[in-house]
Amino acid sequence: MSAATSTKLAVHVRAVTKTFGTGEAAVPALKGVDFDARQGELLMIVGPSGCGKTTLLSVIAGTLNFDGGEIDVFGSPLHAMKPRHITEFRKRHVGFIFQQFNLIPTLSCIENVSVPLLINGVSRRVAEQKAAAMLDQMGLPGRGHERPTNLSGGQQQRVAIARALVHEPRLVICDEPTSALDKDTGGHIMDLLCAVARHPERSVIVVTHDNRIFKYADRLTEMEDGRVQRVHGQGGNHDLIE
Amino acid sequence: MYHLALKMLLGDRAKYAMLVGGLTFATMLMTQQSAVFFGLLKWTTSHLSNMRAKIWVVDRNVQQANELKALRDTDVNRVRSVTGVAWAMPIYVTIQSAKLADGNFKPIMLVGLDNTTLVGRPPIMLRGQLEDVRLPNSIILDELGIQRLSVGRAKPLGLGDTFELNDKEARIVGICRADRHFFGYPYAYSTYTQALQFAPKQRKMLSLVLAEPAPGWTAEAAAKQIQLETGMKAYTEDELFWSTIRWYFRNTGIPVAFVSIIVLGFIVGTTISGQTFYAFVHENLRHLGALKAMGASNGLLARMLLVQSFTVGFLGYGIGVLLVTLFGQVVLARGDPPFMLPWQLPAATFAIVMGICAFSALLGIVKVWKVEPAIVFRG
Repeated sequence: MSAATSTKLAVHVRAVTKTFGTGEAAVPALKGVDFDARQGELLMIVGPSGCGKTTLLSVIAGTLNFDGGEIDVFGSPLHAMKPRHITEFRKRHVGFIFQQFNLIPTLSCIENVSVPLLINGVSRRVAEQKAAAMLDQMGLPGRGHERPTNLSGGQQQRVAIARALVHEPRLVICDEPTSALDKDTGGHIMDLLCAVARHPERSVIVVTHDNRIFKYADRLTEMEDGRVQRVHGQGGNHDLIE
Repeated sequence: MYHLALKMLLGDRAKYAMLVGGLTFATMLMTQQSAVFFGLLKWTTSHLSNMRAKIWVVDRNVQQANELKALRDTDVNRVRSVTGVAWAMPIYVTIQSAKLADGNFKPIMLVGLDNTTLVGRPPIMLRGQLEDVRLPNSIILDELGIQRLSVGRAKPLGLGDTFELNDKEARIVGICRADRHFFGYPYAYSTYTQALQFAPKQRKMLSLVLAEPAPGWTAEAAAKQIQLETGMKAYTEDELFWSTIRWYFRNTGIPVAFVSIIVLGFIVGTTISGQTFYAFVHENLRHLGALKAMGASNGLLARMLLVQSFTVGFLGYGIGVLLVTLFGQVVLARGDPPFMLPWQLPAATFAIVMGICAFSALLGIVKVWKVEPAIVFRG
């Protein structure tokens, strides 16, 4: 457990269900998931392909509707909010890091990083200043005006992390952040994410099945067949982390 | 966000060029073909612009300005006697053959004006005096006539030169500017009496009567009164203009040919830009989904797509109209082609191009509207 980890809940998920399709084609992805993430921790959700971890990440992030149950993220009850308010919530409080980076190739790094600020209504000048400063923090000084395609995979993921953090979100959602990277680069990226999670009012949730990075987790939630099976780490089993 | 939307668009150079090119082509096709069409329609009404009168009295069966049936010589006096007519003057219009220096013949549109008042005179005199047309065997020829009848001569025809008109000598006493006739005939003006001498004698020689309403009478009211009292057909200038246009719409394939090309331009523009823009949105769907996940509302994304679509629309339209204008300048400099570009035409094309852009953007907006932000988490 990091020094910043508290017992305050960042994400509180109870009995969440989600089914894709209807009738005979219905596929239940989440079958009553109970799940918590704390403030100041880096929590990983792991499990085999198709176990529902990405679906769980999507509903926590407010990017996918769920059928039943309750989700509370930093005091905002997603289950009771209108879509417009959920969009507003994502805009202000959620940062995203994707497996394939999802940087817009025709924009410079600074422009990519400034996107969340612009969406939040910050002026272009201020947004680009903050974006440049964030890229410096991510160890990419002087690369702001380059296109992402000119950077290595690790550097692109740093740009993506800068984009996820530039508007100072409380919840950072990471989907397979190291699967497209080699071991060393993946290690550097995880060091960065651990540092990001040290913020006492922030929570970082990582979905992965890259067991090389399990050791970076404060806690590790293991899913199987649409349900949370075990929680490793504090208050739980340490085997997987070790 | 709008500057980023534009950078996203400009970054995909192939699609950007395709979109601008497609809309330029559509604008060109629609505007240029419409301008030629309007030019041709204007030619069909050249009698009206070259003779100018408020009331045109013709045979009761005449439906358009280029299809005149001869009246009796006394008909002009019948029109003059109608209440509500200030004055009425006879006009003789005929197509005659002019002989060229090389022995060939060219048809010309000969207009005989009232000897005294010269009502129906050419709109713009370039050289010579209008009144000299009263001199024996005199003709005022338009620029096209000078050009056509100068073939085979060492130097172009000028004032004082003569040529053979229907086996009679005609002397040029003036050069005027006149609108081109639909069939491409040059206009030659003479007096009514002399025009009858140039033309072979026929039983009835009066082509039409030009009249002016009396003070306190509108042209419409006077025309109605003429019809009532004489049984002849009396048109106001505006009525004859539109009657002529309608006649060509009903009785020739010209509108169908041009409207087909104009519609083709619209379809090509809509197809190219709609499909290309849709492909552009489709290829960027993942990025647009990421923006949506980051909190960009459907409204913001729709506005971004509209900015992209209308930007290529403005560019394509601007380049298209510029090219049409250049085309017009070039062809107008080479003579008097059927080309008319009133402001309403580019304005209408602008509205159509913007409609195409709105439609293209709408295709993308529907696509973006439906996409779930969770798409970004799928592999």
